[in-house]
Amino acid sequence: MKKYHVVVIGGGGTGAAIAYDLVKRGFNATVLDRGELTSGTTGRHHGQLHCGARYAVGDRAIARECMEETNTLRKIASESLESNYGLFVALNDEDEAFAPTFIDACLESGIPAEKVPRKQALLMEPKLSDKIGTVVQVPDGTIDAWRLPLQFFAGAQQGGAVIRPFCPVTGIEIEGGRAVAVRIRDLVQKKDERIEADLIVNATGAWAPQITKLAGIDIPITPAPGTMLAVRKRLCNMVISHLHPSGDGDIIVPQRGLSIIGTTQYKTDDPDDIKVPREDVDFLYRCADEMVPEFSKQPFHAAWIAARPLAGKSESIEDGRGLSRDFVCVNHGEHDDVHGLMSVIGGKATVLRAMAEKTVDAVCHELGVQEPCTTTETPLPSHRQYYRKGAK
Amino acid sequence: MSTQERNFRILRGGGPSGTPVEFKNYSLELNEHATVLDALEWIRVEQAPDLMYRHSCHHGSCGTCGMTVNGKPKLACLTKVEDLAAGDIKLEPLVGMEPLGDLAVSPVSLMSAYPADSGYIRESEVNKDAARPEAVERFERFENCIECGLCMAACPVEDEFQGPAVLAALNRELAKTPERRAEILHAAGRPDGVYRCERALECSRVCPTAVYPAKHIMELRKELEKESGAE
Ligand code: SF4
Ligand code: FES
Repeated sequence: MKKYHVVVIGGGGTGAAIAYDLVKRGFNATVLDRGELTSGTTGRHHGQLHCGARYAVGDRAIARECMEETNTLRKIASESLESNYGLFVALNDEDEAFAPTFIDACLESGIPAEKVPRKQALLMEPKLSDKIGTVVQVPDGTIDAWRLPLQFFAGAQQGGAVIRPFCPVTGIEIEGGRAVAVRIRDLVQKKDERIEADLIVNATGAWAPQITKLAGIDIPITPAPGTMLAVRKRLCNMVISHLHPSGDGDIIVPQRGLSIIGTTQYKTDDPDDIKVPREDVDFLYRCADEMVPEFSKQPFHAAWIAARPLAGKSESIEDGRGLSRDFVCVNHGEHDDVHGLMSVIGGKATVLRAMAEKTVDAVCHELGVQEPCTTTETPLPSHRQYYRKGAK
Repeated sequence: MSTQERNFRILRGGGPSGTPVEFKNYSLELNEHATVLDALEWIRVEQAPDLMYRHSCHHGSCGTCGMTVNGKPKLACLTKVEDLAAGDIKLEPLVGMEPLGDLAVSPVSLMSAYPADSGYIRESEVNKDAARPEAVERFERFENCIECGLCMAACPVEDEFQGPAVLAALNRELAKTPERRAEILHAAGRPDGVYRCERALECSRVCPTAVYPAKHIMELRKELEKESGAE
């Protein structure tokens, strides 16, 4: 087959997994990021490895995919995961009424949700509130939001991908209705460059409209920032979630020596112009204490904010909660008459590999290549491999 | 919320492009919660779109945002501006890593110095005797070291030295894989190993995740002494 060259714009988790899948299927790949890798949304994730339980009631298919991908990541990237399972805890009567629906939906989605006696739950996690009611155990876990993507980047690099942080894209060249090259500013070498591409994948998430604008295309994305808060003590080993349909401040993710509570959500126009609203911090402390009462007594570690991308225009989105966070791959050849350009938006950290598989399937279809995805098979190199001398 | 105007003197330029380095001034209003990383983000958005610095997690977990703040190695994301002395705030790239330009550095030499096949997962020390789900053999967690290189920058040893982060990782490997004892102790006892340590303890002071590298170096020394005593 001809060695096609695909340029991936955006060095987040999605870009990392796409680059890895591309080289595994025989493409040449270049990844560009305007700054450091995963410096946008990816790295600021609270780190929940999502088995899908949270989505099961609303969407069995998404939940099933999360479960499958959780299992796959355990196989291929176990060094970037704390695989300790999670507990969903009911805090009030409404939660109790919801519990059976929740368990059924999990089981129907292939998630081995299991009710555990309260006493047993407190033996597993002694810091849990003694006010908890029903407890359901699910195979959640914690992701290292920097090292997991780095493992994919290491794999991509090993397969020949060229990964270029600090290279903002300044233009997209279009010839006869087809995107044929990107123009970049290489901040490391301090020079401008033109990179030809057989296909361009825009994987910049909340920043996607800024890239498509360079090709004269308007895509409806609303950045939805959310606040997270970490205290300096690991209070639990398992991920603790509020057993309710879904809302703000309903998950505590332990990670290393920290406990993190997430998240809130609102919407904005500019994903770069975000600041932690201070009221979010008080709110998150209160939510955390309901599940783990000692949370707010621990030393403050950090409060930060990340802009997640929601598909849709700001005017038509209430608070974004109702919108699907599912992943979309837009082929601008079909939608906007600019061929050779695709945008991928949305999705969740846990399913990064599956998003990449679907994207590269679309790339193959577009370029007439027939190569199956093989990214579930072999373990990824270690995250340090990406930076080892001679790895490039 | 109170805000205050602060001035940052940021070392710009340098790195492979050979651009001459010079300090440039950036002033902005900051509230009492702002970190050095927050300030850099706003400086980039409002004043210097091409400013280079590394960051990812914004909560002291990735280890990318190490830099020299008023002469001391620190994580930008965990350093509150308010806690810094009044006056200008001087930002320079982290010492001991290869500069890429502005505040950005490459961690290649540090990452390459870690023991090649060392794992990143360890048993969790929290609630050790707790009950577990059937499928969970032991509760696990990531290693404390976030590979930020602050300890390497703070270490006063001038001779060729593997350095605190690397030796701490060796000691962690010894704890996790006792079967590799001979090989690990050999690496620790090399001329650039534990005996270079001058016990200045700077590493343990600057480490943002309580690795206490100096303690690991001492433990390795003790293990080496045991070996030589046994001969
Ligand atoms: S030991 Fe501490 S200071 Fe040194 S690299 Fe690791 S985390 Fe950073
Ligand atoms: S940004 Fe991750 S440690 Fe500072």
